[in-house]
Amino acid sequence: MFDLKKYRKKSPWILHYNAGSCNGCDIEILACLSPKYDLERFGVINTGNPKQSDIFLVTGPVTFRTRERLVELYTQMPEPKVVIAVGSCACTGCVFRDMYNVEVGIDRYIPVDVYVPGCASSPELIIDGVVKGLEILEQKTKEMEKPFKLFKEATTDDGIVNRRHSALKVGEDDAKD
Amino acid sequence: MIEILLILFAPILGGLVYGFERVVRARMQNRQGPPLLQPFYDMYKLIDKQSFIVNPYHSILGVMHFLTLWAVVAFVILGGNLLYIVFLHLLSVIFIILAGFSVNSIYSHIGSNRELLATLAYEPVLVMLSVGFFMLNGSFDISVIREHTSSIFPLFLLFLAFLLVIPIKLKKSPFDASEAHQEIVGGVEIEFSGVFFEFIYMAKWLEYVFIYLLLLLFAGNNIILGAGLAVAVFFLVNLVDNSTARVKMVHLVKIVLGIGVTLGMLNLLGLGYV
Amino acid sequence: MTPYSILIVSPLVFALVVLVGNAVVRNIFTIIFVIGLSALSLGNIALFSISSELHLSHLFHNLFILLDIIVLFYFLWRGVVSKHSLVIILALLQIVLYGVVITLSPKLISSDILVDQISSIMYLVINMVGGIIIVYALKYIESEEFSRLKKNGFIAMLFFFLAVMNFIVSTNNIEIFFLLFELTTLCSYILIGYRNDEVSVKNALKALWMNQIGGVAILVALLVSILQYDTVYFNILIRIIDVNYLLPIVFLAIAAFVKGASIPFDKWLIGAMVAPTPVSAILHSATMVKIAPYLMLKLAPAMSGFVSITVTLIGTFVFFAATLIALSKDYFKEILGYSTIALLALMMSLAAIGTPEAITACILLIMFHAVSKALLFLQAGILEKNFHLKYVNDINGLVNHSKLVVFFIIVGFASLTLPPFGVFIGKFMAIESISKELLMHPLYVFALIFLALGSVVMTLLYFKVVAKLFAKDVDLKLPHVEISKFYTIPSFLLLILLFIGIAISFEREFLSSAQIIVPLVLILLIPILFSTLLFKNAHRVKEYNCGEKDGLKLGMYYFYLTERTTKSISAVSIIGLLILIIGVLL
Repeated sequence: MFDLKKYRKKSPWILHYNAGSCNGCDIEILACLSPKYDLERFGVINTGNPKQSDIFLVTGPVTFRTRERLVELYTQMPEPKVVIAVGSCACTGCVFRDMYNVEVGIDRYIPVDVYVPGCASSPELIIDGVVKGLEILEQKTKEMEKPFKLFKEATTDDGIVNRRHSALKVGEDDAKD
Repeated sequence: MIEILLILFAPILGGLVYGFERVVRARMQNRQGPPLLQPFYDMYKLIDKQSFIVNPYHSILGVMHFLTLWAVVAFVILGGNLLYIVFLHLLSVIFIILAGFSVNSIYSHIGSNRELLATLAYEPVLVMLSVGFFMLNGSFDISVIREHTSSIFPLFLLFLAFLLVIPIKLKKSPFDASEAHQEIVGGVEIEFSGVFFEFIYMAKWLEYVFIYLLLLLFAGNNIILGAGLAVAVFFLVNLVDNSTARVKMVHLVKIVLGIGVTLGMLNLLGLGYV
Repeated sequence: MTPYSILIVSPLVFALVVLVGNAVVRNIFTIIFVIGLSALSLGNIALFSISSELHLSHLFHNLFILLDIIVLFYFLWRGVVSKHSLVIILALLQIVLYGVVITLSPKLISSDILVDQISSIMYLVINMVGGIIIVYALKYIESEEFSRLKKNGFIAMLFFFLAVMNFIVSTNNIEIFFLLFELTTLCSYILIGYRNDEVSVKNALKALWMNQIGGVAILVALLVSILQYDTVYFNILIRIIDVNYLLPIVFLAIAAFVKGASIPFDKWLIGAMVAPTPVSAILHSATMVKIAPYLMLKLAPAMSGFVSITVTLIGTFVFFAATLIALSKDYFKEILGYSTIALLALMMSLAAIGTPEAITACILLIMFHAVSKALLFLQAGILEKNFHLKYVNDINGLVNHSKLVVFFIIVGFASLTLPPFGVFIGKFMAIESISKELLMHPLYVFALIFLALGSVVMTLLYFKVVAKLFAKDVDLKLPHVEISKFYTIPSFLLLILLFIGIAISFEREFLSSAQIIVPLVLILLIPILFSTLLFKNAHRVKEYNCGEKDGLKLGMYYFYLTERTTKSISAVSIIGLLILIIGVLL
């Protein structure tokens, strides 16, 4: 039998989330999907729907308001999935680092597989990152991986997994809730 | 024998059409585009993915949508009653609409509402289309219609009305408000994931087969005309898809119902007098 | 004793029996009697000769005339008591016209009772569906706060109604038909006003005067037919009528439009909602409104040319307009009411087309519309009694509370629109027969458009309600209610009738076997899958709300008809009726 596994990376669907970015990286991401760079030749579709996507493209330094949504979207993506932090803000917080309303990059909340630096990162870099992400996607097992920065166990509510308050602020006490 | 093979492989056929369409659309935009077999890669990936469900009703209704649509395509291929097929197709649409309403998601609800309104717009046109074929051939049976000569000229106005229906059913601009990918995230299909989304995805392919088989009826027994018609309409629909913006739902209903029903009425009146 | 005379007389006698006695005895006797009635009406079709005639003696005729005068004066008295000028005027008009008719009345030569195939089918509908509704009413009326006598009177009245209906579908004499027509008006007047509060009395009077218009129309038709053709019999009138002088037919058709609550006479049927739900159920499904298509079927052979086309166009227009009005309603029973009006109009237009195929479609619609509507109205009653739900907007998420009721409602609505149920086959054949007519006369294209638009709007309407049942609502917290056996068993019986309908259409080959089996399997697959596949091990997630987490309360789309639109709908249908009359007069 020939190996079907290699076709698995041929259809990565993207969910793009702006976690408080200045829109610079977002424009570049959209540029990747445009005719000039044409990400669709790798089978990429920008679905905008976590339940059908494989690659999570996050831009921005994660403001407090976006924190819970970020985790919510991440948990709503079915395994296997890859997270790509696009832009310096998403990687490290960049110039917003240590501001009163901003976290230091997305990897405090969800596991990141590929970091794409740059302010804003260029389309070539993003494509490179996505292609790298595809390799990781191929390697990933089907086993559900827990985000390492989620401190609480997900509770169930009428048989439905409730992840409402799954994201706590770093350093916040678990027992508080 | 050929019919049964066609029925069995109808989703695959639809997948190929869909894949080809994605390539054509990319070329029209001066892009390279995905490979021809891209829809099948998508399918293969979706099998491996974890499936989430929101509630059992939702998932089952999605699967039923696919099964009913397959039955519709089978009826078309076997040459069943056209009017009946139009109503059976309505049943399949109703399943997906109910699925959309069974979850507590805004996008899904809006998608279902729009799907209902779109049904309102195109269903009368399809009914009139089948009556047009009946008046011309004396039977609603597709097998009879296929044996007669081409009916594109006597039914030309209905053909134009049918051209308005195609973008609605195939979710193409300017009449793709019921799916509206970046606006309501796919509408009814939003809550499906993994294996269940595969059924919805395949149902989309079957919709291609259904629509193009209906289109072939206009050619009657003239195979060359049928092939020409299919290719011409395929390019026309994609050209329009690439070059127009999405219209609002209200306008969709007004345009398709207004123009479509008027054209159909004129055509039927004409057939009655001749 | 012939079967039809038992069917007519025995409910009358039983109505008197029911009046006395406590609830338990009454219930047992009623159930046994209903089973007997249904068996008899079924046996009538299967065993006895299809056609039978009877000439009633002079004594009966005098009795009928006496009864008629009593009923008309009762109407006049009610009008005077409640100071309702329209009722008074119409009652007086009827008394005068009736006086003229009985003085002119020709010698009675033909049979007064004529039972044909259509009558047999009507017996079946009236007694089976009506009987099932009465069984349901036994429990329903017990939960109301009335005196024992009034409760028994309610059941007795329903039986009286059945007797009158059984009679009206067997009569051949238009004079007797008029009497029975007035008696059904009386029944509906009493039943609608049963609660005796302000709204009930008002709506009962509305039903009274609107139905009186029908009475006047019949009298005019009778007068013309006596003067012109010297006959009071349906069969003779239809045989000898002159194609160029169809005035009596047109007036009878108008009477049918009134009884069928066709727009602009729709208000009385909608007003009937205030009565206890079994009344609505019995009015909408088995009795009263079914007189309309029945009368049309009787007149069908005489209709031709202009009359046929005009009635068809009016009927299909009302079909479309009524579904459109129904779409703008939120009250569950009102939605059902307007869809009844729509389907009745469709039945009437099919009868007016008059081809064998159209007649078959009409009969199918009469039969299965009765079953489906009865099923839905019984559920409406259960919703009101057990869950205190009246409006469609409140019922979302009911599936989590009562699977059985939701199942019945879904089957009820599905059977009104989807293959392979009887009503669908009726509609399907309607489109077929209209397209055949289209080859003869191009004007039928409008009928086709109205029909196509109407059926899709109807689908929109029904599945708006059904979707609402599925839609989850976080706020709805209903108590767990045990639904009484008296409510569920009638619903199950109706369900069985629906599937028998499918079996009949399978046997008669209205559709090919594949066309019936495929959707049947698909539809039956759903409840099976629902109950077996629960996806216990599947990963459950919340819905996608852009990462937001608040549970949302979602409404359904709302369709609004402006005052102007409703007025113009009435205006168009009135103009249609006027064109019908004037066209015939010219």
